[in-house]
Amino acid sequence: MIRAERLTKRYGDRTVVRDLSFTVRPGTVTGFLGPNGAGKSTTLRMILGLDAPTHGSATVDGRSYAAHPAPLTRVGALLDARSFHPGRTAFHHLMALAHTHGIPRSRVEHVLGVAGLSDVAGRRVKGFSLGMGQRLGIAAALLGDPAAVVLDEPVNGLDPEGVLWIRTLLTSLAAEGRTVLVSSHLMSEMALTADRLVVIGRGRLLADTTVADLVRDAGAASVLVVSPEADRLRALLPAPARTSPEGPDTLRVTGVDAPGIGRTAAAHGIELHALTPETASLEQAFMDLTRDSVEYQADRRPEPQGAAA
Amino acid sequence: MTTTQAPAAPAPAPYGITFPRVLRSEWHKLRTVRSTWITALSAVLLVLGVGVLMGATYTSGGGDSDVDTVVLVLYGSQLSGVCLAVLGILVTAGEYSSGLVRATFAAVPGRLPVLGAKAAVLGAAVFVLCLLTNAAAFLTAQLFLDDTDQAASLTDDGVLGALAGNAAGVTLLALVALGLGAALRSVPGALGAFIGGVVVLPEVLGMLPYDAVDTALRYFPTQAAGVLGSATPLPGAPSAGAALLALALWAAAALAVPALLLRRRDA
Repeated sequence: MIRAERLTKRYGDRTVVRDLSFTVRPGTVTGFLGPNGAGKSTTLRMILGLDAPTHGSATVDGRSYAAHPAPLTRVGALLDARSFHPGRTAFHHLMALAHTHGIPRSRVEHVLGVAGLSDVAGRRVKGFSLGMGQRLGIAAALLGDPAAVVLDEPVNGLDPEGVLWIRTLLTSLAAEGRTVLVSSHLMSEMALTADRLVVIGRGRLLADTTVADLVRDAGAASVLVVSPEADRLRALLPAPARTSPEGPDTLRVTGVDAPGIGRTAAAHGIELHALTPETASLEQAFMDLTRDSVEYQADRRPEPQGAAA
Repeated sequence: MTTTQAPAAPAPAPYGITFPRVLRSEWHKLRTVRSTWITALSAVLLVLGVGVLMGATYTSGGGDSDVDTVVLVLYGSQLSGVCLAVLGILVTAGEYSSGLVRATFAAVPGRLPVLGAKAAVLGAAVFVLCLLTNAAAFLTAQLFLDDTDQAASLTDDGVLGALAGNAAGVTLLALVALGLGAALRSVPGALGAFIGGVVVLPEVLGMLPYDAVDTALRYFPTQAAGVLGSATPLPGAPSAGAALLALALWAAAALAVPALLLRRRDA
C-alpha cells in the first residue's frame, strides 16, 4: 500500500505538488493521470525518497520508502528519464543494482527474460532503442520481486507489441496481489488497464475514483438527433434540455434522455431519422476534468479566414 | 496502520542492504565500464613510459642528479594522477550525467553508504594499481640507472616508503576529485574545479612574494603528495607524516561536503 498524505513540493515560489493525498491499494492497477507538468513525476520521486517533500509525507506499507531495510523488495520503480550508464551492458547494470540487496544472478537473468532482453543482455545500453531502454527500466523495477511497482509513463517509446506486453504485465502483477501505480498522460491507455484512477492537475488532486465512476460522474451523456425538422424540435423540447447544432439536420441534446426526445417528437408528429444516446468517452471525461489545469494549452482561436477586401 | 489484507505478493526473500553489499555493487559498477580501464591503463602507461624515458636518458652529474631517485623515476605520476582524478570524478559526477544516480539512490535510499563505498572502492583500486605500477616503473628504470649515481634498490632507505607514499598521494588526490564530483554533480564542473583549484591554484599562489603563503602551500594537496613520494626529505618541506595527515584531511574535507549535502538534496 502506498499512501500520500498532504504531499507538497515547492521549487522556489513554484508549487509543483499541492496538498496531495491519495492511497494506492494492493491487487489493483491504479492509474496516475494528469496532463504534462501536472506533478506526476515529482510525486513519484517523493514516494521513492528521491525528492524530499516540502510538506506532508509519502509512505510505503506504513513507513517512508527509505526506512525499509530492503526497499527494492517493497517498491520497484521505472522513472521517467533514463537511469543507466550508456557504456554498461544491460546485465551488468542490473547486476550492480542487485548486489546492493544481495539479489542473486539467477534473479537478474529471470527479470531479463521477463522483459524480453535475454538476447541483448550482453550489449551495451548505449545502442538500445527507447523501447528497449523502457524494458530495461522495467526489468530493474522487478529485480527485488517487489510488493509494489511504480511505473512512470511505461508505454513511452514502446511499439504496439511492447504496449500490449505492458498491459498484460500490469494486469498480472495486480492479479498476484501487488500494488501497481502507473502514471500516464494518456487516458485511453489507462482506460484499458487501470481499475482505479488518481487524477491530478497543476499538482492538485482532481479525482480519486474508479474508471466507471469517472465516466458516470463526468455526466456529459448526450443524445444525437437527426431530423428534417430539427429546428422545430429544438423549440419544443422540455425544460432542462440544452441543444447544440451538429449539422444541418442534426442536434446534440443534453438534459433530456432519448425516450423523452422521442415522446416529444411523436406528440408533435416530427419525423426522426436517428436518435442515438452517447456516453462521454473517458478521454472526454478526462479533458473536462483537467481543462483548467493544462499547463501548455494550444491556442484554439481559429486562423483568420482569408479576409477578402 | 492496519492493512486488512496483507499483500499476497511473494514471500520476502532474505534480501536487504548491507554495507559490504553496497561495496560489492560499487566495485561491480567500477569494473564494468570502459572508462575505468581506459583511465587506469593511461595512468599505468604514463608512469611506466616516463619512468623508462627518465632512466634511459639519464646521465650522471647532469641537471637531474640532485633529484631524489624515486621522484625522478615517478615523474609520470603527476600526469597519471590527473587520469585517476578523472576516474574519481566519473565515479560520482558521471552517475549524475547519465541519470544512473536515481536508480542507485532508489536501491540505497540512505545514500551515505553509496558515497562511502565509492570512496572505499576507488581508493583501494587506485592504491593497489599505483603501488604495483610504481614498483614496476622503479625496477624497470633501475635497469638503465644501475651504473649511474641514481642507482638504487627497493631495499634502500626510504625507497619502499616513497613508492608507497606516491601511491597514497595519488590515491588521496583521486579521492579529493571523487568528493568534488559528488559535491558539484557535473563532470566538466568537477574537472574544472580539480584542475583549477587543486593543480593550478597552488602554482599561481606560489608566485606571491609572501613567506606565509609559501609555508601554507607546502600543505596543499599536490605539494603534500610530492613530499610523500620522495625517498629523501625535501628541503624545507614538512615531514612525510605531516604531509600524509594534511592530504588525508583535504580528502576528508572533500568527501564531507557531499556527505553533508547528500541527504538533503533532491536526486
